[in-house]
Amino acid sequence: MMKKQKNDRFASFLDWLENGGNALDEEMQDALREEEPEAPGKQKREKKKKSSDKTADIAKKPRKAYADSWWYRLLAFAVAAALIWLLMEAVDRMPRFGAADTLMDSELTEFYVEHTKEETGAMNIVTGIILNYRGFDTLGETHVLFIAVCTVLLMLSIYGEQDEKKRLAQGALERYFEPHHDVILQSAARLLTPLILIFGLYIIANGHLSPGGGFSGGAVLGAGLILYQNAFEYRKIEKFFTYKTFKWVSVCSLLFYSLAKGYHFFTGANHLDSHISIGTPGNILSGGLLLPLNFVVGCVVACTMYALFTMFRKGEF
Amino acid sequence: MLEYLRQAVFAFLLLAGLFIQVTAVIGVNRFRFSVNRLHPAGMADTLGLLLMALAAVVYAGFSPVTLKILLIVALFWITSPVCSHLIARLVRETDEKHFEAEAKEWKP
Amino acid sequence: MEALNIILLLFMIVCAVAVAATRNLLAAVITFMAQGLAMSVVWILLQSPDLAITEAAVGAGVSSILMFAALKKIHAIREKGEAEDDEKAEE
Repeated sequence: MMKKQKNDRFASFLDWLENGGNALDEEMQDALREEEPEAPGKQKREKKKKSSDKTADIAKKPRKAYADSWWYRLLAFAVAAALIWLLMEAVDRMPRFGAADTLMDSELTEFYVEHTKEETGAMNIVTGIILNYRGFDTLGETHVLFIAVCTVLLMLSIYGEQDEKKRLAQGALERYFEPHHDVILQSAARLLTPLILIFGLYIIANGHLSPGGGFSGGAVLGAGLILYQNAFEYRKIEKFFTYKTFKWVSVCSLLFYSLAKGYHFFTGANHLDSHISIGTPGNILSGGLLLPLNFVVGCVVACTMYALFTMFRKGEF
Repeated sequence: MLEYLRQAVFAFLLLAGLFIQVTAVIGVNRFRFSVNRLHPAGMADTLGLLLMALAAVVYAGFSPVTLKILLIVALFWITSPVCSHLIARLVRETDEKHFEAEAKEWKP
Repeated sequence: MEALNIILLLFMIVCAVAVAATRNLLAAVITFMAQGLAMSVVWILLQSPDLAITEAAVGAGVSSILMFAALKKIHAIREKGEAEDDEKAEE
């Protein structure tokens, strides 16, 4: 019964995807739902292939006639061709790859290459650009990740409003094939997880000196957490990483980023002294705000990756 | 003389590694069931990678980079068998039909 | 080095077409993973190790794990009984 309901939900979602929001109104959905017991275990998408199914025909008909007409196909072809032509034209007008005069054309590139080290204190020019010159871009990107988690939380909490017992049973069913209590995987995870976490922290901490930074290091940290969660039970990882941890770490990180970057821009725009010393470029404690900002971005990315995975896996946090 | 010897060793290791990788690719394509396929795939990830990494070490000479290459080999030696084990376990738990057919076919 | 570049780019094109062409969602995700891995090698050859690390960690690692989880969630990776039903329906 439980599984059937899941299929039902999934089928109605597919219907919505295929036919748009208006094609299937409430009555039809109810009609479809009532027919479900007659053909258990099958999804309605398959049923709709049979022409004998009345309700499916009604749902499919207007859309089908619309999509099969010649002018619709011609229009689709024309739009695709126009898009391809546009993209090809854009590629054609870009500077030739690897040409000798490409770098000289751009004053901005030259400026970055010359000034990044003394102005931001970063040996790695890319980090200097994305966290100092384009700090607000990165702020937006970090917020996008946070908003993605919030959206997934909202979407999946539809399941959460169902019967509590049913939800727990669903989770148990989905975790049945998980390789818990697998000694080989657990030994490997016990050995590998610290190494992965240390590597991620190294990438983050060296972001302003060598290739890397908050995003890549955070992804590595998140992958390590996912590995740990797959090898051991949820109970073990919930000792140090719960929804509360995620909430506080993400919000505090974003708040710190916003405040620090806001202060930096405020003082910089008004020609004030920000009292943040750049230090000697090349040292680990240098670059002013770059190191803490890298850490903050890394925390947000790691939390996001792990939270997305957990919510898809378990349906809740 | 020593230089020639070094290059000979390098060539031998590289060719051996390539041979094993090619064998693994052919094996993965030729075998029919997923558990059979694990055998050549695991071979490529462990022995083939070791031989090719040793070839790189011999070609570039010994330096701190050598340690990094050997670390990569060590990580692969830890992770690749675990991956094979997990896939085999998943096949055994979910794909009973194929597993039975396989067992019948390969009975001596 | 030129040959390696060409091989990698061709591999990426083949992978991209295969992702769009295949009907098996699981195979599509795995092909996408391979494409991301080739992409990270291309980034290294283009001398941008920052992007290479990010691509290898996000493109080939975490994003495909998330896609696997999503496929499991929408039951696109079929369980035992469902696959047989599907075959019958296609006949």
